[in-house]
Formats: sequence, C-alpha cells, structure tokens
Amino acid sequence: MKRVILVRSMWMAAILLGVSFVSFMLMRALPGDFVLAAAGAQMLQPEVLEAMRRDLGLNQPLIEQYLSWLGAVLKGDFGTSFVTHQPVLHELWPRFLVTLELALIAAFIALVMGVSTGLVSARLRGAADWIVRLYNGFILAVPNFVVGTLIVLLVGLYFPELAVLSYTPFLEDPLGNIAGMILPAFALALAISVTISENTRAAVLEVSNQDFVMVARAKGLLPRTILWNYLMRNALTPIITVTGLQVATLLGGSIVIETIFAIPGMGQYLFDSITSRDYPVIQAIVLVAAACVVFINTLADIAYATADARVEA
Amino acid sequence: MTASDPILSVRDLTARIVSRKQIVDAVKGVSFDIARGEAVGFVGESGCGKSVTARAIMRLAPEGTRVELGGSVHFDGQELLPMSEAAMRDVRGRRIAMVFQDPMTSLNPVITVGAQIDDILRRHTGLSGRAARARTVELLDQVGIPAPAQRADDYPHQFSGGMRQRVLIAIAISCDPDLLIADEPTTALDVTVQAQILRLLLRLREERGMSLMLITHDFGVVAGMVERVNVMYGGRIVEAASVDDIFRAPTHDYTRALLAAVPRLDRHGVAP
Repeated sequence: MKRVILVRSMWMAAILLGVSFVSFMLMRALPGDFVLAAAGAQMLQPEVLEAMRRDLGLNQPLIEQYLSWLGAVLKGDFGTSFVTHQPVLHELWPRFLVTLELALIAAFIALVMGVSTGLVSARLRGAADWIVRLYNGFILAVPNFVVGTLIVLLVGLYFPELAVLSYTPFLEDPLGNIAGMILPAFALALAISVTISENTRAAVLEVSNQDFVMVARAKGLLPRTILWNYLMRNALTPIITVTGLQVATLLGGSIVIETIFAIPGMGQYLFDSITSRDYPVIQAIVLVAAACVVFINTLADIAYATADARVEA
Repeated sequence: MTASDPILSVRDLTARIVSRKQIVDAVKGVSFDIARGEAVGFVGESGCGKSVTARAIMRLAPEGTRVELGGSVHFDGQELLPMSEAAMRDVRGRRIAMVFQDPMTSLNPVITVGAQIDDILRRHTGLSGRAARARTVELLDQVGIPAPAQRADDYPHQFSGGMRQRVLIAIAISCDPDLLIADEPTTALDVTVQAQILRLLLRLREERGMSLMLITHDFGVVAGMVERVNVMYGGRIVEAASVDDIFRAPTHDYTRALLAAVPRLDRHGVAP
C-alpha cells in the first residue's frame, strides 16, 4: 500500500507539472496580454505598455517566467492578482469552497438519480425501461445551460418567493445556503446523472445474465439480498469508473451554471480572469482544478479496489 | 405417506422457452420418479432438455426469458408448479439444492466464499453470526477444502476450478436438502478432478441419505454413481432402466449410439 501511494503521488505530481506548463504556454499564446486588456479602449503609448510589462515581469522569456512562477508555487506562493493586487490564494480559497460545495451536491444528486433510474430500468424492463431511456436520451440532447436557464425562468415566474438568483454565504445562513444550491446543483447534475443511469443499466443487465445470479436464486435467497449482494456489488465497479470520470467534468460545467445562477464560485472567477488575462489567477485555478480531477480519479481507483478484491490498487 | 413414496414425482412435464426471438419446446412431456435416497442419472446430448428439466423442477429460468411449465412436479407431498414464488424460495436451497456446470462463473466474484455460504445459512437455518460462521467452516471442511477457517475469507478467484466446485457443493448441502440436482457438475473440470468431485458427491449422498439427480452427457460419469438412468433425447425420455441393464442391454437405438460414442481403452482407435 505504501508503494502504491508513493507511485500515485509521483504520478499526480507529473500530471500537475504537465498541466501547469501547457496551460501557462497556452494562455501566453492567446492574442493580447494583461497589459492590453487592462488598457482596454485607451490608446496608450507603446512605451507606457512596455513599462507596465516590465513591472509585471512579462517581458522576460516565457520559460523564465514559467520557472520563476513554478519556484514560487513550490514555496506555496501563488502570486498576486494583476487586477486586484490581492494574493491569489486569498481570493481563490472562498470561491473554491463555493464551487466545491456546488460540485459535491451535484455529484450526490447525479449519483442518486443515475443509479436509481438505471436500476429501475434494468430490473423492471418493459415500460419503465422505455420511459427511462427516452428521458435519458432527451436530457442528453439538451445542454445544461439550457436546463439551467429554464429553471431560473420557470422558478422565477411561478415561485418568485424562492429567489433563485440570490446567493447566501454559508456562514451567514447554512440552511439557506444549501437550499439555494439545490437548483443549480440539479441543473449541473442532470447530464451526468443520465450517463450514470445508462451505465448502471448496462452494468446491471450484464451482471443479471451471470451464472452466479442463477446460483443465488437456486439458493432461495431473498430478492433484496440478490439485488444488493449479487447484482449491485458486481455492477458497482463500472458505476464507480463512470462516476469518477463524470464528476471530474463537473468543474467545467460549473463555469456555465455559476454564471447563470450568479453564484460567486471558482467558475465565474476563472471566466473573469481569462477575460482580463490575469495570469497568476488563471494559473492557480487551472492547477487547483487539475489537482481536483487527479484526486477524484485516485479516489475512484481506491473505491474500485475496495469494491472488487481482484483489482490491485 | 410412507417411506416408499418417491421424494420427487414428475408427470408429463413440459417446458416451453419463450424469448423475444423464438419459442422452443425444450421439454415435451417427461415423467419419472426419484425415491428417497435414490440416485438417478439423466443422460443425453446437449440440447436434449435435461438441464431445462432440472431447472423446471426448481422453477428457475435464465434472466430475460420466460419458461412456461406444464404437467406436474410433486415433491414430498407438495405440488411445486402452482406454488407462489415466495413459497418456492423456501424450497430452493433448503429442500432442493442444485450444483451447476461451470464453477468458474457460478460464484460471486466480489464477496468471500465464506459469505456465500453464510447467506444461504442465514436465509434458511436461522443461524447467524458466530454460529453461521462455525457451520460454514465445518461445511468447507466436509467438502475437502484444506485449512477451511482461513479459506473462508478468500475470494473465488483464489480457488482452482475443482476447489470452487467443492465450495458450490458445500453451498448446496448447507441446509441438508432432500434432493440434490447436479447439472453436469464435472463437465468443466479436469479428468482427475472430475473423479474427486464424483467421489465427494457419492460420499455426501451416502452420509446424508439425500436423493441425487445427476445430469450428464457422459455415460462414464453415471456408472458407479446412480441406480437408475433416464436417457433423454429431443425433450423426451426415450429409455429408462437400471444402470446395469442400460450397460448390458440397451434397448433404444439412441442409447446404443450414445454408449458407442463413449471412448474405450480396450478397443482400437486409442490415441497413440
């Protein structure tokens, strides 16, 4: 187990290093830089722009800029925002928590909806199967920003007292905060729940045809024992895999949903910082997001090995 | 009811398998008895309906297919076909148990073999916790698993094919069934392991006085294992006789053909 953790951590470090390098270079490859974006419509003298670049260190060779950024990050210093002149971590942390909360609630909703509909579809077959699959196909065809916008519009129209667009900080009113998160999390979860549902259905159907399920029935076991210990326990591994992959995409989806529901999370922060080419902020967000994805995949691997003794972690 | 009443009496049993694609009449009216403590062999080629007959007695159908049953299956004073599914679950595993063909796929790969014996004990015997565990270890010992207390915590993939079949036999005998149906129990195993498994079945049957319905395509398996043989072909029983008579004087052409198909060492045609 120690060796596994060591290998895993080195793997994680390598991925994060690669991601930070690629994103660093990609951002610089975009036309325009922070100085131009900050200048906006003002026609500043080229010498002024150059002086600003020199102040921010943007005139250095790219590789040097990257290495000095990396060196600082390794010491825990993510730099200061070009726009607000605040330490990046200081601004990022509360926003990260908001997005994390949204993603966790969405993952929970997606898992509950996906697994239950997939299970119903596979076990009942017939009409229930048709309805679930039709619904899945429909939801899959509709992008989540459409669903999100529809929710905002419909709730705003018919339940104006719910006030969808007013975010409450967790520390002010924990219950109100969670209640306010449910609709955006639902919009975020829908597409993912469909993928989980389809995969659960396929996995349960596959397991249903295995000999050991026939043996379980020949033992006279109760249907619920067969369902949990034989069908679900075996269907769990593919469900874990797909859930891990899907939850990682939640971070990307949250950019859109946070914008629609006016939630002050990391997604909106990323969008703003890309528009203003606020490089230190972008770098930090990309690194945090990549770390989350790698972490979730590691968790999925561990869950996988726990669910199935044949898998070596 | 007297001791001489058969434990199982099947009359005009028919089984029609209905799947989305086709309808197959797999069993077309078979009748036979199995006495208490008796061992009866069912021999025939693949697709002759012997496995469907066995599953019909247990009222089991493969997932996604429907099997329409007709006729009567009388087991120890009860008619099984009209029984409710819940009542049937009390019969399965406790009164009638079954051992299947392929031990490699018949055990649940994600739970320990001990847990797979525990669950049937809990279901039918009321044993639980430490008592169920003790019984599980005892059963593994009875079917010849070495170091049963440790092996109970192992997963199926840590066992060989022959050892897995022993585990499945332990599951089958766990609740002292009156009738054990063994459907090609040795087909998927090596020849040397086959003999061990057959000896084990023979020993357990004698110790427990349970009836045995042994299904096979191999006359070599039947000899020495059963008292009577039913030869099946095309969903019917074409010949029923004592095992001695079948070997000495088979009456049906199909039986003769089947017997002639058994490779023998004392004739020519032996592989070099």
